Amino acid sequence: MKNRGMRQQLLQLGNGAHALATQMLGSADEAADAVQDAFVRALKAPGSYDAARGPLRVWFLCLVRNRCIDLLRRRHPGVVDVDRLRDPGMGPEQWLERQQRDAGLQRALAGLSVAQRQIITLRDYLDLSYAEIAGILDIAPGTVMSRLHRARLALKEAFTRNGETDTNAASAR
Amino acid sequence: MPHRHVDEQLSGFLDGELTQQQRQRVRLHCEECAECRHKLDDLRVLRERVGRACLSDMGEDEWRETMNDITVRTSRSIGWLLFVAGLLAASGVGLYHFVADAGTPAWVKIILVCVYGGLAILLFSVLRQRLIERKTDRYKDVEI
Repeated sequence: MKNRGMRQQLLQLGNGAHALATQMLGSADEAADAVQDAFVRALKAPGSYDAARGPLRVWFLCLVRNRCIDLLRRRHPGVVDVDRLRDPGMGPEQWLERQQRDAGLQRALAGLSVAQRQIITLRDYLDLSYAEIAGILDIAPGTVMSRLHRARLALKEAFTRNGETDTNAASAR
Repeated sequence: MPHRHVDEQLSGFLDGELTQQQRQRVRLHCEECAECRHKLDDLRVLRERVGRACLSDMGEDEWRETMNDITVRTSRSIGWLLFVAGLLAASGVGLYHFVADAGTPAWVKIILVCVYGGLAILLFSVLRQRLIERKTDRYKDVEI
């Protein structure tokens, strides 16, 4: 793949990759650094991407995930930042409403393990298939469903623990 | 069918990742089991909530800037590397010719070597200090 074409595609993947990295690292700034490092790796050796082995998105998310794992190994456990939600495309009222709603979600996600946040982000936020998730996490496709299910139940439990009922969750729609 | 067989498959059912036979089994079970039906609804709400969330606050423009920054930094590093390498090579050749030149008196060579050697050591010291400051300054990116 030509470098220019890859750059354009990577630009579109940046946001999703940043969401995954934020969930893994718990900090939006560190996540941005991790995505930037992944950009550098991807653009330095575009030939290492083999289109026959899967879509670019899966390959790039693998790079981001590996970088996050490197960073997690290096640093001490940190506090998950729940106040970094902003969508510049929305009006102030919508933004506030969404921030309040997403802050609840972030709090609940913060109560999960890194692995659980990771698999929920990959499936429910980035909408990847089980096969793609299996490729990124390097696990058997059959394992994805059980891990994801346990993670979702843990998220539901976290909402309950934080005093948010299922009705609250439903009304947030 | 017992709950435990269906439980894990609820997520697969929700995501459309089950075989037709498995889907049929889960559907039939949920028609009879209020508990699993309720759980399936909860999981659906959760999934939609995560899907609509904003988990990243960076846009495409910011990533474009990041990428451009990478290109600029890389090309600048290469430029500096070539410049310093060329300068060192030229200085080495010049020094060799100067020292090997039999026509220049020894005391002139010693004085000039002291002057230029001193300047080189001072330059190296300043560069080293700047490099250390740059690496350890936590506020270097803060704009005032």
